[in-house]
Amino acid sequence: MPETPALDIRGLTVRYGGTTAVHDLDLTIHRGETVALLGTNGAGKSSTVNAALGLFRPSSGTVQLLGRDPLTAVRSGGVGAMLQHGGLPSESRVGEVLRLVAGRYADPWPTADLVATTGIGGLLDRRTEQLSGGQRQRVLLALALAGTPPLLVLDEPTSAMDVEGRQAFWTTMRDLADRGHTVVFATHHLAEADAVADRVVVVDAGRVVADGSSAQIKSRIAGRTVRFGCTDRAGLAELPGVTAVRGTGDLVELATTDAEATLRALLAAHDRLPDLEVAGASLEQAFLTLTGGTR
Amino acid sequence: MTDLLLFQLRRVLRSWEYLFFTVVLPALFTIFFTKVFGGQVGSGTEYQDYARTYMVSMMAYGGLGAALGATIRLSFDRASGWLRQLRVLPVPGREVVVVDIVVGMLLVLPSVVVVALVGRFVNDVRLGPGTWVELVGALWLGSAAFVALGMLLGLALEQKAAGAAMGIVSTVLAALGGLWIPVEVFPAGFRVVSELTPSYWYAGLGRGVVGDGGLVLPVLVLAGFALVFACGALAVGARRPLHAVAG
Repeated sequence: MPETPALDIRGLTVRYGGTTAVHDLDLTIHRGETVALLGTNGAGKSSTVNAALGLFRPSSGTVQLLGRDPLTAVRSGGVGAMLQHGGLPSESRVGEVLRLVAGRYADPWPTADLVATTGIGGLLDRRTEQLSGGQRQRVLLALALAGTPPLLVLDEPTSAMDVEGRQAFWTTMRDLADRGHTVVFATHHLAEADAVADRVVVVDAGRVVADGSSAQIKSRIAGRTVRFGCTDRAGLAELPGVTAVRGTGDLVELATTDAEATLRALLAAHDRLPDLEVAGASLEQAFLTLTGGTR
Repeated sequence: MTDLLLFQLRRVLRSWEYLFFTVVLPALFTIFFTKVFGGQVGSGTEYQDYARTYMVSMMAYGGLGAALGATIRLSFDRASGWLRQLRVLPVPGREVVVVDIVVGMLLVLPSVVVVALVGRFVNDVRLGPGTWVELVGALWLGSAAFVALGMLLGLALEQKAAGAAMGIVSTVLAALGGLWIPVEVFPAGFRVVSELTPSYWYAGLGRGVVGDGGLVLPVLVLAGFALVFACGALAVGARRPLHAVAG
């Protein structure tokens, strides 16, 4: 009998009033995978994560964590989570909060090791109000890990961190993945997804628009943008490598999968290319490529 | 559950404002007003009556303030995201609510007891040993109505409003309920308003125990208020779960 998946989402639909945040989404994550849910703000990542954790009842669809319903899985200590709107209690010290939470698990992560792993050694006597954004996130990570959960679900965990903090955080995540934890995280940074995840699920407008290895996704979305001033757009779409022609007014923006070929062809056809610029595609542009510009 | 209870108690007791407004202030009022105005009423019996009534009022003031202060804080925990965090930890939401109710009830005791001690040993209020126990016990149990009101407000209000409500609600209830100035000196119209407040009946409960009035009516009215507030809290809690994002 195959092992039950770490996370199994079927037909998940989430509606808030009149807007549908998640459309009939299916997603299966197997144990041991490190998966990034990549999407822009408002793509439906948080809604998916929150529904997966049982924070609200979805409009339709089912979620199973480790083969159980979300609440049971959370209560039994099988899932550790970092929420986007999670927080620490006021009027308390970090060590007190950690002790309270760790004491709730049958098999807690040994405190000394947990403190070292999450890098909160100097913070235990600190009042929660005195933590910086990054320190806070590390304490929240320690809480998420306190029960040695086989499955970790993180919603934009590095949003309050500086560059150094981010690097340290993702190093910790890679170590956890190496130890066999299943890690699912939502992010809007392609670089983070690329650096940590062995599978990237791209979510846009509440749907999965791409799902594959980091390299596969990158090759599909790591296109370039060629910008220049030009009033005549005739023939641009037919240039080699070009996948989309956009831009406003005199400024043309070409999305291309082969910047070099596109440039050669452009230079051959035009005497002047004022304000020429070649840049890496932003995630927004990458999504346009993935979704065929239908957004 | 004990772990969460101790954790929550420690948090509330860390707030010096809380201790000041619920224990120190009522105790100081008890001494100050009894010494200032009680001294003017003259003879022994009259002084006793004044000191006893004022002490009961201040026990009620301290008790309701403590009950409200300890429970309205629930709103802060929602705003900070702590309640949401607890939802993804093995801490059932029901336990969080039960612990907050227990914390509210427990923290009423210091306020009520300290004012009673001040009444007895500083203002020389004379009551039989049994009456002292009954008085503290009655005001302790009666505070359940304010614990329920505090839970209702804590669940319903946003952080800023809740912070303001902590001070304003207990002040208004104390003033209108005749805890600071006895209702006897209120104009007639005001006395009607006073009798619509739970605080009037809460102090009435204490007055009943020390023999300054009936007991049955205050018990019934206070139980009614407790029931209404508790139902309100349940209704709001069902509409807006503890882990809902603030705002």
